Amino acid sequence: MASVRTNYTINRSPRFSFLSEDQKETIFHGMLKVLQDTGADVHHEGAREIFKKHGCKIDGVRVRIPPKLVRQALQCLPLMTTIFDWEGNPRIYVEENRSYFGPGPTLVYYRDPYTLERRQCLREDATTTARVCDALNNIGFVEGLISISDVPRGTEDVYEFADMIQNTTTPIMAWAFHRGGAKDLHRIGCIMAGGEEAFKKKPNYILYSEPISPLVSDFHAIDKLMYCAEQGIPQDYSPCAIGGATVPATHAGQIVVALSESMVGVVLSQLINPGTCIILGGVQAPLDMQRAIYSYGAPELNPLCGGLTEMARYCGLPMFGTSGCTDTKTMEIQSGIEAALSIHSSMLTGANFVHDNGYTESGKTGDIFQTVMDDEIIGMARVIEDGLDVSEESLALDVINNVGSGGHYLYEDHTMKWFRKHWRPSLMDRQSYEDWDKAGRTTMKERIINKTRDILENYEGPINKVPGEVRKDIQQVVDDAVARVEREGL
Amino acid sequence: MTEKLGKIADGLLSGNVEEVSNLTQELLDDGTDPEEILQKGLFAGMDVVSQKFKDCEMFIPEVLRSAKAMQGAMEKLRPKLSEASSSKAGTVVTATVQGDLHDIGKNLAGMMMEGSGFNVIDMGIDRKTEDIVNAVKENKPQILGLSALLTTTMPKMGEVINALKEAGIRDQVKVMIGGAPVTDDFAEEIGADAYAPNASIGTEKALELIKA
Repeated sequence: MASVRTNYTINRSPRFSFLSEDQKETIFHGMLKVLQDTGADVHHEGAREIFKKHGCKIDGVRVRIPPKLVRQALQCLPLMTTIFDWEGNPRIYVEENRSYFGPGPTLVYYRDPYTLERRQCLREDATTTARVCDALNNIGFVEGLISISDVPRGTEDVYEFADMIQNTTTPIMAWAFHRGGAKDLHRIGCIMAGGEEAFKKKPNYILYSEPISPLVSDFHAIDKLMYCAEQGIPQDYSPCAIGGATVPATHAGQIVVALSESMVGVVLSQLINPGTCIILGGVQAPLDMQRAIYSYGAPELNPLCGGLTEMARYCGLPMFGTSGCTDTKTMEIQSGIEAALSIHSSMLTGANFVHDNGYTESGKTGDIFQTVMDDEIIGMARVIEDGLDVSEESLALDVINNVGSGGHYLYEDHTMKWFRKHWRPSLMDRQSYEDWDKAGRTTMKERIINKTRDILENYEGPINKVPGEVRKDIQQVVDDAVARVEREGL
Repeated sequence: MTEKLGKIADGLLSGNVEEVSNLTQELLDDGTDPEEILQKGLFAGMDVVSQKFKDCEMFIPEVLRSAKAMQGAMEKLRPKLSEASSSKAGTVVTATVQGDLHDIGKNLAGMMMEGSGFNVIDMGIDRKTEDIVNAVKENKPQILGLSALLTTTMPKMGEVINALKEAGIRDQVKVMIGGAPVTDDFAEEIGADAYAPNASIGTEKALELIKA
């Protein structure tokens, strides 16, 4: 028998760390100070009443939260939450050091998968994003990349979710305009799960809302947050903080403010329903002071999101990270460089939900081709995350002795057993010049387009597994949403 | 019999060395035409293997297992084959030229060729030109495969070709060359018959060369 080693780590994932323990404590205290002294605006009377009842100072819409209340809220957080697909299989373990990657929400334009031109988003794009993501191995959650332009205004959220959830079993991070839409989404989630009770046991989506940087929670954002807390729907409350514009230009300052903005929602959610799942994070990037764009390809995104990930972990919260996004207007080399850096950093900092894979044009155009490329990069980054295994089996001293000097390992059983662990590309080219020449001299761009269209044209997807009755019930929710918006306005 | 031929093909696909060898022996003992075993069993199986390899469904270690199984069967079959059919699965002599100790590429190519039914005689590494010429005289291979990894040893391949000419046996053997620094142009320059950029293309070219 092999000798047992005591206190020995067999497999060690490499980890990026931007912050020391001291720095984390300092940032944490900074956040407590901001919430206590500066406070945040909460444009929701009901929410302010809850804060007041628990000892917060209220001054108009400004809420100042005492450090004790923040600490209490953090004590209530769930250690782990599991998100299921609508067939009931566990798909996402929301716990420390598990990273899942997915696209992002609500872009203005979409790259047409056939003309390749950017255009207004259409309802059919929801299905495109869902189907393609369902086929991609490294996409762990789905967002639509779109704001649909061809459905009645005010129902885009419901149409998008209704179409997407039937076209992917990968859990969706959904969004809604306000409580009305959130309720409709929840009806759909429950229909897919098989009822409200089934959803409580096996939640199948996450709702995403956003505070406004700096330090503002508008009525609808906080109202949706309260609804999710009441219903026990896993949710995400993450700002898009713009370095130098809505938050300080310094990274530590940006992280303090972003953390504080989310913490308002974290505290409220735990006051309403202690133990409910809430995620924080968001896009953390600077304003380009020449072009006035929010740079999704900026290298600063990485220390910012990485630092915030470490702070989230410090607080016991899951992190909503950002990667795979770019400032480019068309698929080009820059798109790949920016995506690879942010995916690699996010993977190694261990953010839980890493979104915006498929964001192009600085957060303006949803590009499913970028998502398909990102999927490949995520697969490569996973290899790095897997780290090195050092064990008797992996050291293979017997095999080394067997083969000796000269010779080769290609016939060895050990090779047969392990070579499949090597990552295989689906888009990266490793052909010889001759094979590449014979196979039509394709570039990465062409291979991405081919793979995407192949999925669109040939991938079956789960749509046929959705029973007719369920489809009818979902259609009813959509029809009700249209009636609701007609009745109540936007 | 047809069933056993099918099993041979399956055995090759799964790289079951012993099974393929035993089945070949059984078929020979049953009096099956060796040519039929070769065509409908072994070649049929290896065709599937090479297609699967091209389609990225099989990987090198698996293909080499299949090749090993093929080689084992060929050892049994070769003595029974007519001259015409044994040249379809002809002999290849391989060597790394003098001054060069690299051999993983040559070995890979050799193993792949064995998988296609060739009888591969590997001379190993760092082989003197005159030794290679003697090996050609002795073994009368259809193909001589020369390998070099270093730009400094590459010219030795041209030297071997010249030595074959001097010995008067250049037209009896096709010379194929390979190795990382080797190119099509270089092959042409030294008067080689073929250049293979990798082991699988090498095997394809070897098959073409013996057809020609």
